[in-house]
Amino acid sequence: MSDIAAQHEIETGSLGVDNRKLAIWTFIASEVMFFTGLIVTYMVMRGRSTAGPYPANVLSVPLVAVNTFVLLGSSFTMVTALSAIERGDARGLRRWLIATAVLGLLFLSGQAFEFISLAREGASLSSNLFGATFFTLTGFHGLHVFVGVIWIAFVLARAFRGGVTQDNHLAVELVGLYWHFVDIVWIIIFTVVYLLRA
Amino acid sequence: MDTQHTKPNYLGVFIALVVLTATEVAVTYLPVPRLPVLIPLSITKAVLVVLFYMHLKYDRRLFSGLFLIGVFGALSVIIVFNLLFMPPLLDAIK
Repeated sequence: MSDIAAQHEIETGSLGVDNRKLAIWTFIASEVMFFTGLIVTYMVMRGRSTAGPYPANVLSVPLVAVNTFVLLGSSFTMVTALSAIERGDARGLRRWLIATAVLGLLFLSGQAFEFISLAREGASLSSNLFGATFFTLTGFHGLHVFVGVIWIAFVLARAFRGGVTQDNHLAVELVGLYWHFVDIVWIIIFTVVYLLRA
Repeated sequence: MDTQHTKPNYLGVFIALVVLTATEVAVTYLPVPRLPVLIPLSITKAVLVVLFYMHLKYDRRLFSGLFLIGVFGALSVIIVFNLLFMPPLLDAIK
């Protein structure tokens, strides 16, 4: 059996799909439920604080709207990176992956700025039910973005070594699926937490 | 991903996402009910990303099924939390 055939046998399971892609979709399905639990807990608890600060007084829509556009932009750069390597454009792949990582870091910087502003208003994990559920939800999302940036850095390093090609670019597809999912979670958080703030 | 399909218009999807987000923000400054407008807009954005950026529209049905299992679990969580913490809804069902 050739090396390529052996590798194919390892990576493709009895369902006829790549095991790594099956794994990432299974992980995403579990993450849907994980974040739903956090979001619904926030919705239930945010209006039950007996003392301030309250979400309507401290959450800033304009600041977070800018951050939302940044994350939406990063999804576009990520899918463009995948599109580039599908055409065999390795340079384009690297350029768009770098853009995605930079936008991810920009989002995290915006979130850090927001957290500092909220802390100055007296909101923290231990301030009240709003603070506890808000920082748990948005903090976990920020952690996912951070993990995504690290993952992109690994794929980028592999791309610079020539390990990602037109015929072998699953690594880009997998990190892209994760990144877009993190974007979807933010789409929901932005609406539920910020635009529908009580 | 199945590479035999026609490529989606990624830029078009991005522009749609930006327009929908701008609409959402604008709605919060208008005297209109927020919930019935914002939730459909938000779900539309999420569906656009799933279908075109995550390629579920073109990929194997197996992945769509897996994702829908997650969504079904999520809807169950939402319903259970509503029943537990919104007594009027529970009373209405009784």
